[in-house]
Amino acid sequence: MDIVNQILLNEQKKAEKYKPITVDKHLDLEFDLGTLLAFDTNDVDSKLLKSNKDDYLHSLTRDNTQLLLNKIWELPTERIDEAIVVRLPQPTTVLPRAKPVPKPRPLTKWQEFAKAKGITKKKKDKLQWDEQLQKWVPLYGFRKAAAEKEKNWLIEVPQNVDPMTDMYEKKASEKSEKVAKNELQRLKNIARARKVKIPRVGLPVTSDKASATQLATAATVAKASTASLGKFQDKLPKEKEARGKGVHELIPGKERKRRAPIPTPQAERESNLNLLDSILNKRPKIDMEKAVAKHIHNEQVMRSEEKKNMKPSKGKRKGKGNATNFSAKKPKAGRGQRNPNKKTPGRKRR
Amino acid sequence: MKVLSEERTRILFEKLTKYIGVNVKLLIDRPDGTYCFREKKDRVYYISERLLQLAQTVKPDHLISAGTCFGKFTKTNKFRLHITALNYIAPYASYKIWVKPSAEQQFLYGHHVIKSGLGRITENTPKHQGVVIYTMSDIPIGFGVAARNTMECRHADPLATIAFHQADIGEYIRSEETLT
Amino acid sequence: MGRKAKFDETKKVKKGPGRKARKQQDPIFKKELLENDETKKLSHRQKQRAARRAKKKAELTEKRKALKQAKKNVAKQNEVVLKEASDDESGDENIQGFTDDNKEWLKPKQKIKNNVKEMSDQDSDSGHDEGSGSDNDEDLPKTGSSPEKYKVGTLDDLFQDSDMENGDVTSEDEGADSSLKMSYNSDSDEEEGKSDEDDDDGDDDMLPIEKANIKLKKKQKLEKKLADDEMQLNISKQDVFAFPTEEELQNPTSLQDVHQRIKDVVTVLSDFNRLKQEGRSRCEYTDLLLKDLCMYYSYNEFLMEVLMQIFPVQELVEFLEASEVARPVTIRTNSLKTRRRDLAQALINRGVNLDPVGKWSKVGLVVYSSTVPIGATPEYLAGHYILQGASSFLPVMALAPQENERILDMCAAPGGKASHIAAIMKNTGALFANDANKERTKAIVGNFHRLGVVNAVICNYDGRQFPDVIKGFDRVLLDAPCTGTGVIAKDPSVKTTKDQKDIQRCFNLQRQLLLAAIDCCNAKSSTGGYIVYSTCSILPEENEWVINYALKRRNVKLVPTGLDFGTEGFMKYRHHRFHPSLKLTRRFYPHTHNMDGFFVAKLKKFSNVIPEPVKDDDDEEAETTEVSGDQPNGNVESDVDSQQSEKKSVGVKRPATSTETEPQKKKNKAPTQKSTPTSSTVPTAVSSNNQIKKKKRKNKKNKPNANDGNKVPQTEQVQIGSINEKSDIKSPNINIQDKNNKQKNINDTGNKNSTETTLKSHTPLNDKLSNNSTALVVNKNVSLNPNQKNKNKKNKNKSSNGSSKSVAVVNKNELKITEKVEVNASRKLKKKLKKKNKQIGQISGKQGISRPEGKQNGINKKNKKIKSK
Repeated sequence: MDIVNQILLNEQKKAEKYKPITVDKHLDLEFDLGTLLAFDTNDVDSKLLKSNKDDYLHSLTRDNTQLLLNKIWELPTERIDEAIVVRLPQPTTVLPRAKPVPKPRPLTKWQEFAKAKGITKKKKDKLQWDEQLQKWVPLYGFRKAAAEKEKNWLIEVPQNVDPMTDMYEKKASEKSEKVAKNELQRLKNIARARKVKIPRVGLPVTSDKASATQLATAATVAKASTASLGKFQDKLPKEKEARGKGVHELIPGKERKRRAPIPTPQAERESNLNLLDSILNKRPKIDMEKAVAKHIHNEQVMRSEEKKNMKPSKGKRKGKGNATNFSAKKPKAGRGQRNPNKKTPGRKRR
Repeated sequence: MKVLSEERTRILFEKLTKYIGVNVKLLIDRPDGTYCFREKKDRVYYISERLLQLAQTVKPDHLISAGTCFGKFTKTNKFRLHITALNYIAPYASYKIWVKPSAEQQFLYGHHVIKSGLGRITENTPKHQGVVIYTMSDIPIGFGVAARNTMECRHADPLATIAFHQADIGEYIRSEETLT
Repeated sequence: MGRKAKFDETKKVKKGPGRKARKQQDPIFKKELLENDETKKLSHRQKQRAARRAKKKAELTEKRKALKQAKKNVAKQNEVVLKEASDDESGDENIQGFTDDNKEWLKPKQKIKNNVKEMSDQDSDSGHDEGSGSDNDEDLPKTGSSPEKYKVGTLDDLFQDSDMENGDVTSEDEGADSSLKMSYNSDSDEEEGKSDEDDDDGDDDMLPIEKANIKLKKKQKLEKKLADDEMQLNISKQDVFAFPTEEELQNPTSLQDVHQRIKDVVTVLSDFNRLKQEGRSRCEYTDLLLKDLCMYYSYNEFLMEVLMQIFPVQELVEFLEASEVARPVTIRTNSLKTRRRDLAQALINRGVNLDPVGKWSKVGLVVYSSTVPIGATPEYLAGHYILQGASSFLPVMALAPQENERILDMCAAPGGKASHIAAIMKNTGALFANDANKERTKAIVGNFHRLGVVNAVICNYDGRQFPDVIKGFDRVLLDAPCTGTGVIAKDPSVKTTKDQKDIQRCFNLQRQLLLAAIDCCNAKSSTGGYIVYSTCSILPEENEWVINYALKRRNVKLVPTGLDFGTEGFMKYRHHRFHPSLKLTRRFYPHTHNMDGFFVAKLKKFSNVIPEPVKDDDDEEAETTEVSGDQPNGNVESDVDSQQSEKKSVGVKRPATSTETEPQKKKNKAPTQKSTPTSSTVPTAVSSNNQIKKKKRKNKKNKPNANDGNKVPQTEQVQIGSINEKSDIKSPNINIQDKNNKQKNINDTGNKNSTETTLKSHTPLNDKLSNNSTALVVNKNVSLNPNQKNKNKKNKNKSSNGSSKSVAVVNKNELKITEKVEVNASRKLKKKLKKKNKQIGQISGKQGISRPEGKQNGINKKNKKIKSK
């Protein structure tokens, strides 16, 4: 009995030590089990909070945790590897991010263009059937190069190209050019997105890398960039003006060409006539169509003239009937002669 | 009033030879004084030397036109003949097309000349040859380019284009603003 | 086999760049290359400015809103008032169920609805449409039981009311007229509607054409009846023309009546003595005629007045009638491309009915009718002819261009006349076609190229600047811009839009243009040296007067135009007297020559020298008339003005023709000056004391020369004496001026030493001086008057220098008239006074010291001094 009582007593004591699992609240809590979150919307007892802060908070926390756990226990449980597991639902609360949302990536030039034109990307198959090789060849990447090699074991040199060119080399250089161009465009796109000043051609020249010619050009341009276009700028004893392609355009006021003096009327007339002669005497291109048309026309004229000439000698020919004299054409049995007064003309002519 | 550059003179003459062939020489080499081509605001004017001297007293801003406007250079540096050049082109034209009275209006509204409206055509007109269009009463009413040669014209169906419209005198009304 | 797609939703597909993209890093740019143009921060000042701008904008919008609101409110109020009025009238008409503020905007809608319903009701009645009928039945009780007829009435009332309110712009008569018309129209409409309904009701079995026939007959009958009535009325009226009463004038019945009245008045005026009503003056008749003509032909009064001065009444009516109908279309053959006979044949083939325009032109054709648009035939486009009024041939024919000449057309657009010139020249020589309007020069370009004119230079200058550009033309054509009173048929807006200002602006421009045209011409040209001036106006201000002006300013003379028809130009018009050679100009009228009203004058330049600009009475007159025209007389100031102008017009004649004695006599003969023919405005009979005095003073001045008897009462004589004294003092002043002007006259010295009487005679003597002295005379007159005033009023006048200043201050009108010349003269006067004239200097000193009361005494003393000398 003692033992039983003892045990009971112990149990009682133990039970007293734990608080009950049921908690009373005025308002139910709101839960977001996906993130194990519970919102307590009840009032805080300010009196208790002031008098006994720690204990109050402690008890409040425990109660709410109890409620949260109760809620978890309501979910369907599983037993995996001797452990009871609960599958939590999807979280509903959105947690604020620590960092700002990244901006959308600026469109590349092509993307912009495509957007403006309404061009959408067409999905291509990764594998393509190659008729020549009779097998599926990837569009790019692994095994593409091998397939290419297999395919182009021989490249024909086209008619219009120098027969001594190495077509393989040409192809390789084309490829590398393409890659370089792509790279350049990529860089340009990035520069554009970041608003970097870049020259129209080439990469920006920085002062530490500029060449002597570039510096000379810069000096020349700078000197000419005054209101009087550098007319009154002093010169160094051995200074040279920058020359070369593109320099001229950069110097302000230089692009104006000197106008030719107005020629005298006679001179102008002479020059005009000369020019006209050169135009008129230009060797004409052989226009096959025109030539054919002309030829046909000439033939027709000849034939009609022939006929005209033949008419008076008609009777004569009739009588002769010489074998050497007959024409290549089939005899028409009188139908070849034309008599406009006759009702039924011979062959219809268009 | 600028002197035409060599290049532009060449372009101009090449265009003119398409219509009047060697007769361009007659425009330059005239018995009644020297005539020349001058350029103003991309327009080309054909003007006698004497009148030009007088016209040069007028400031360029205030000068509207002098002599006869032949046409203009486009932005792509091609020369386009205006209808105003018809006065000089019509008498020298080597290839002509006459249109029937019924097709006159059609052409004057800026349409091409079609086979059904074709009255006469110069013998052996080649394809793409500049031609002057006349009415049957021999009034020049415009110019264009032959769409087919004389031979082909004979066999063409009635709605086929014979000459492409380039300029017609209806433009005096239709586009007075842009004549010069 | 292989990887499987994971369709389980718990597995998420990775977002973001793939492996490929991650491979390449972005390039690193140097800092200095980076451009940070992301919205520059505004400086403090900029911010402030921006804030201010925003504020201003907001204020502006608010204001606008407020204004709108106010307008709305006003409109609302008006509406409300109208509503209330109509409510009062209707009495029992009340629309229930609306609160007051709703009423405002709900009511008008209601009315329209009702109207529509009425219509639909009628429709439904005639059409027996059951559905719509039932709908209306349902609707009707809702809208209230107000009678429909009445509603129409109220709407009309509303309209009239508003009309009256807005009527401040239109005259009362017009308003009444329009309302009358409206009522008439509505009546007829109603009648027609009724008859229609009757027909519809009566004979359903008739064919539609029969119905139409019956309707037409009825209509004709009605019209005939009305016409008969009218005839009766007309006949009854024709017997005796009774001058209409005020009431009749206030409410004219119809345009027919007005027309009849015009006819009557014209007949009365043609035989005034016999047909006039007792106690009515000619003035009254002409006023009545003026008003009626204005109403009937819808001219403004100013223009009609001017026209009445040009034409006698009979001709005026003809002119007005002719101005209502368009002239026949005429075309000009382009002789560069074709001949008239060929063109006529070609056009006749196209179905155009035409005839030669007359013997006087070899290129003109009149088009009576045409089946094709005459401005778009292939012949037109090919440049065989140009549409041009017959009157436009005339100036070119007058110009008579020769081959190989250099000719200028100053106002060329759209190039009709200029191309005519080129055609006559046969494309030789050089033709300058100028126009001030750049847009219109395009028309010249088009026409010239179409017509094949190749000898032309087209430019865009203001004509007045043209002599600076190029001179030495053999012939110049100036078809000046004008008011267009000759081509009213083409542009009827002229009738109402032109006023004194417009005409003045026009003729000023025309004068300048004509002078420029003359300057452009080369007198030494072997073939030419001619200028042709033409306008499409018939006002002498724009024609003869302009020519007259040019005749004085440049070395030109009028020559016959070479046109054998047309009426001669005016030599006198109102108070103007033009050079007798103006007879050589030609005028053309729509009613006599069947072409647009036109004026052509041909001038020959005989010397390239530009004579010294002469200050002319003509110009001054122009200005004075302008001034006095603005102010109706009766005002004291304007009286002074008119006097001034009289003096000038009488005293200073045109140097070329005038004799000196004549004007003086005139002056003396007309002491009361009731009718001086040359004066621009006749002073009113009503005159203040001041005026009379002044006039008499003037008379006094003239007296010694003319040796007239003294009719002036003695009391005034004293005053005159004092005035004479004043003039004594003044005269040396004037003499000095004369010296300055280097017109050494014996009179000067004589005046200085002579007695009072000779001094008095100074004024007329001065008149004898040549042109330059005219300004002086004016100046003197001006300077005398204020002095007298000063004396009379005892104004504080500090010095005689000051007096000349005070001239400028006191008499502003006079200042206007004499303009610069006067200013110059006074300036010279001032200078010389200081240097030379000690006497006046003394006087001035005395005046400066002495008080205003003692001034007269001082002057008297001075007088004595002079006498003693």
